[in-house]
Amino acid sequence: MTGAFEARRALVSGGAGGIGLATARLLVDRGARVAILDRDPAITRDAAATIDGVAVVADVRDAEQVAAAAAEAAHALGGPIDVCVNAAGIYRIASLLELGPQEWDEVIAINLRGSWLVAREVVRGLVEAGVRGGAIVNISSTAALIADASEPGAHYNASKAGVIALTKQMAAEWAPHGVRANAVCPGVIETSMLRLMDDPVAGQAYLDHQVPLGRLGQPEEVAALIAFLASDEASYVTGVAVPVDGGVTSI
Amino acid sequence: MVGHVSRDRRQGGVSGNRAIVTGAARGLGEAVASRLIADGWHVALVDVVDEVETTAAGLAATARGATVVGIVADVSREDDVERAVTRAVDVLGGLDALVNNAGIGGSDTHVVDTSLGAFRRVLDVNLVGSFLVARAVATVLLAQGSGGAIVNLGSILGQRGEAGSAAYSASKAGVALLTQTLALELGPHAIRVNTVAPGNMATEMHWEYVRDLAAQMGVGFDDARDHVRRSVPLGRHGIGEDIAGAVAWLVSDDASYVTGQTIGVNGGVVLS
Repeated sequence: MTGAFEARRALVSGGAGGIGLATARLLVDRGARVAILDRDPAITRDAAATIDGVAVVADVRDAEQVAAAAAEAAHALGGPIDVCVNAAGIYRIASLLELGPQEWDEVIAINLRGSWLVAREVVRGLVEAGVRGGAIVNISSTAALIADASEPGAHYNASKAGVIALTKQMAAEWAPHGVRANAVCPGVIETSMLRLMDDPVAGQAYLDHQVPLGRLGQPEEVAALIAFLASDEASYVTGVAVPVDGGVTSI
Repeated sequence: MVGHVSRDRRQGGVSGNRAIVTGAARGLGEAVASRLIADGWHVALVDVVDEVETTAAGLAATARGATVVGIVADVSREDDVERAVTRAVDVLGGLDALVNNAGIGGSDTHVVDTSLGAFRRVLDVNLVGSFLVARAVATVLLAQGSGGAIVNLGSILGQRGEAGSAAYSASKAGVALLTQTLALELGPHAIRVNTVAPGNMATEMHWEYVRDLAAQMGVGFDDARDHVRRSVPLGRHGIGEDIAGAVAWLVSDDASYVTGQTIGVNGGVVLS
């Protein structure tokens, strides 16, 4: 495993924390040169420093900022980026009757449009450089697969279901360039985004009854799946969305 | 407020490195066994053909200190399976993983032309066989109490049907649901169960299908093979190493929070 990413250049959006940072760290451990793309300059710089990576700043909703950041990352890493992990995302809870259009648009713009914009810049870079091959891994969610009335977030769920459709289209359109595109669907993962354990008793009951493995997942466990899908180990895998959820979606 | 939740990610992982791979005399099973041995596993290769002993001896010769044994058994026979698993436990000193790969393709006939015997044979090997071996191995894993991982081989044809594939598709769709059920039953014991679903693989089973396809299309073998190849977004047939990579990952601790899933390794033919 060590060294599986030698000579690979990776861009991880949302890489300053949570699953994104765990992924950036794992890719560095396995030999990749990594750029973290995130929104806050200071936080992004600090996170990049902890993994010996490059920091680039952009709001993933903004096409011009994304293009500039992707170009800066490729320049800093010494060539076109061939691993793109779209981990930038936000989670919001609001019922359908209370949810407002602005909240809806914000979630869709960051989670869905942002994934497209970042991957588009990366693949444009590969095509322009005449490089064949590359791997995109998008972060979807089990929320794309199953609804949850106790933690309602139709905008979030729709954005993550959109990410799966986007992933399949990337797989179909970019296969001729040798670019693979896959998605991961994390379940309840122990990050700052997690709301399940806000009520520890109800949270533990959920883990006991709804999660076959009976526990939260760790960001490193999601990162391990992302690294597998991005690696040559998965060279015949494209267009799939793989849950990493302790078995939640088996029920 | 999550301090009381176990942070031990290895809880869902595999602590040891002793595996059974069925259908391992050749093809995908041999590739999987070879890969696991390279990753440091001790492996019992099980197959219905005697050739499995030669295959095991060949792999043992290249393994650095790994225990490798070939066991002849028919996975569709309950007594054979019990004997084979007992033997594997004896030789390897226990078990940590199972790769349920043994399977047959069956005849490429429409339902109205398929005999009961032919249909049952495919179900017996692919589905009942997977059940029998999983049951025997899960019993060992539960008694050991140290978790484990099971990977069942499904198929792209278990994800969507195709004319002429009723028995095979039904058997492989059944395998995917067997996987989910096992994942739920064994999850509390830190035993993970997943399916790998290959697409069009460069194996003898697939070439048989291509020969049938060529006859149906009225073209030569190469034309039929290229016809299949053009239908794959990644533009090639899969090889044993493609499957071995996915299986090796799923039985490793890297997959410690993945259970009950079907992972397609098909070059993009079925986007799931």
